[in-house]
Amino acid sequence: MITLTFAQKENIGFQYVLDQLQPNSPYGAQRVRELGPLQPGDRPELTRQLSNIQRTLDGEDTCQKALRQMLRVFMTVKDIRPTVLKCRETALNEIELFEVKCFLLRCGEIYPLFQEVQSVFQWEGVSLEDTSPALDLLDPEGSRVASFFIGDNRSPLLRSLRKDKRELEEQIRRLPAGDQREELQARRARVAAEEELEEIRVRKELSSALAPHVPAMLHNMDMIGEIDLTVEKARLAKRYGGVMPTLTRHALDMEDMVNPRLADLLRERNKSFTPVSIALERGAAVITGANMGGKSVAMKTIALNVLLTHCGFFPFAKRASCPLFDHMHIVSEDLESIDRGLSSFGGEIVRFNQVMRQLSDGFAFILLDEFARGTNPDEGAAIVQAVTRYLNGQNAITVLATHYDNVVQWGSAHYQVIGLKELDVERLQKELTNASDEMGMRLISQHMNYGLYRVEGRQDCPRDALNICRLLGMDPDIVKIIENIIDKP
Amino acid sequence: MKPTISTLIEPYRSISIIGMCKNAGKTTVLNRIIRELAGGGQRLALTSIGRDGEDKDLVTGTKKPGIYIREGTLVATASDLILRHCDVSREILAATGVSTPMGEVILLRARSDGSVQLAGPSATSQLARLREDFFQFGADVVLIDGALSRKTLCSRSVTEATILCTGASYNKNIDTVVEDTAYYCQLLTLPETEDGALRRATAELDDPRATVIAGEQGSWTLPAGLAVPDALRREEAAGACSIFFGGALTDFAVKPLIMSSEKLEGLTFVVRDSSKILLSPDNFQRLGRRGVDLRVLDNVNLVALAINPFSAYGYHFNKDELMARMEARVGLPVINAREDAI
Repeated sequence: MITLTFAQKENIGFQYVLDQLQPNSPYGAQRVRELGPLQPGDRPELTRQLSNIQRTLDGEDTCQKALRQMLRVFMTVKDIRPTVLKCRETALNEIELFEVKCFLLRCGEIYPLFQEVQSVFQWEGVSLEDTSPALDLLDPEGSRVASFFIGDNRSPLLRSLRKDKRELEEQIRRLPAGDQREELQARRARVAAEEELEEIRVRKELSSALAPHVPAMLHNMDMIGEIDLTVEKARLAKRYGGVMPTLTRHALDMEDMVNPRLADLLRERNKSFTPVSIALERGAAVITGANMGGKSVAMKTIALNVLLTHCGFFPFAKRASCPLFDHMHIVSEDLESIDRGLSSFGGEIVRFNQVMRQLSDGFAFILLDEFARGTNPDEGAAIVQAVTRYLNGQNAITVLATHYDNVVQWGSAHYQVIGLKELDVERLQKELTNASDEMGMRLISQHMNYGLYRVEGRQDCPRDALNICRLLGMDPDIVKIIENIIDKP
Repeated sequence: MKPTISTLIEPYRSISIIGMCKNAGKTTVLNRIIRELAGGGQRLALTSIGRDGEDKDLVTGTKKPGIYIREGTLVATASDLILRHCDVSREILAATGVSTPMGEVILLRARSDGSVQLAGPSATSQLARLREDFFQFGADVVLIDGALSRKTLCSRSVTEATILCTGASYNKNIDTVVEDTAYYCQLLTLPETEDGALRRATAELDDPRATVIAGEQGSWTLPAGLAVPDALRREEAAGACSIFFGGALTDFAVKPLIMSSEKLEGLTFVVRDSSKILLSPDNFQRLGRRGVDLRVLDNVNLVALAINPFSAYGYHFNKDELMARMEARVGLPVINAREDAI
């Protein structure tokens, strides 16, 4: 089971994606509320959901008009599931029968539109039942007007009672206030009470006649929700560039992934999101980079897109292959609760232990963001090294983001944030000579490349931290001393 | 020959009935309108701001008249009341989506005569929408039964005309009944402001309860904590013509102004509607004497005053005396709600 906390979903931007869904019907809204990751055993179901998104995207242009019309009817549908279930047990009251009739009328409008749309999309496992027999029960004259009245012709007794009542009412109308009218009022009230009893009997009869149609109605409610959600997922895929993922056994390979929350945030500031690419096999991969540089962004984007795939969304990427995991764990210091009375480091270790306990039972996806950052660098480096070595041999894909250098040789792959690597630092430094601190920060973030590149073989760790010191105008004497220390450890 | 209620309301398509107190005779007036309009071929629609039509007053426990409607009348009321307390044969037309403690407000058409109880929406916007729904379903006249202390909801944005009910239940002292009713009528019918710029400025307020001073230099929203008399001495307030009070205009707020030496003459005070004026009659008059012109954004088109000389608490006034004194104090047609009551 993949269970992430709300804070984690919020943090990686999953909640943001959910919030972008705008279901048209209450049944679609319910689907969104219940949306959760599927498991490796659900591969066929996941494949079905994903392929339905692809079918929607492929067919959309062909039947846009009918689709839009159908969604508009979705908007007018009310959630009457409890009422429909109730009619199996007891007589529905007239307002409930009215609601059922309205729902059935909507189904009647949706049905032909669905046929048209479905002939293009060919959604798998999606169907609607024709509920017109149920509607005929509530609208025997076939007027298809959206109002509900227990007509006189429902029963001879009802007809005669209403006739009696009407005669009394007409007499009452003609009389001035007084005892005689009071007496007629009382008689009328007695007939009205009898009328109500007969109406109850008719409603009972109607409700039990409706009962056999309950499964068809519930089925349609489910399907309206399903269609609604599929169309919304397709809309997001189009908006943020999603792609049909290949579901693999063990390989996780995604090219140019986007994180909608961060992308939208950056767009507001007139910046753009640098897509993240990664190709991983079973084992522990390490992402390194200087402190200003996007390791966390990469981690969140990877976590988000893996989770989205498990929830039947298209991952936001140019190309995506993703295995199905039994577990997914995110260990990140800023997400660990410190109110348990532990230091942030202690909290991380407790959380990590929980992850380890589940390791034996299934294929896991583990994200460790700046693990052991909160303790002293010597021990921290040793801990991360050991964890990397250990996890590298487990049935899991692990991604570790760290700024400890001497970890990389123990991992299965090494990714590096591009950072300032491609930059002519000396030239930029000259530009910056007279710039203010604030401008320095801005220039650095402008020139910082948050993308990842794969490091092959051994390579010196980039000196981005030192470069940042230089660019921000640190005293050259100190910079010199730093260089000496780095060169002669 | 006294005019009937139906002739007084004839020009209007939406009418509200409000009361000075409980048991002022609102339902009696409503029933009278229903009766007077019956047979005229007009389709009536009814709803209420509070709850109405119950046999007994749920607060005071006194007996109350029920609402008895004719076939064809449209009614908007809460679902629980339809299911338990309405004995008309009915056709359910629509669910409004407005909820009340007694269930969703449902629109129905009476398919026979009979009793109903009313409980409708309580927000102005919902009432205005419901009124339009009624018209769509073919209503000719919409009657809204207003409840106690919901005076805001009868402004002309909701109904074109209003009938005020008052009577012996308000107070044992007939002088008090007459004076308070007259004062209340005066408040309800305060003229609307014609200052378009001020209207626009109040529509754009971030804080609807802010105070705004408007004048030759445009409008200036007072920062929180700045009292009006102090603000008037500021440079920004030079050339001020009107002051808009977004919150209530209370004795507490007005007293320092009345006592101050500021020149108030020629100033217009504007409030949203008369329900925002919580002034004693004394202070109201003092403002007038200082030359302040008091106005509202939304006023009420009061077309009649209905009096009920009988109190629900066991005493009554002389009906002719009450009628004569009311007519002398109020420039409105006065009707005895209980005259040839149904």
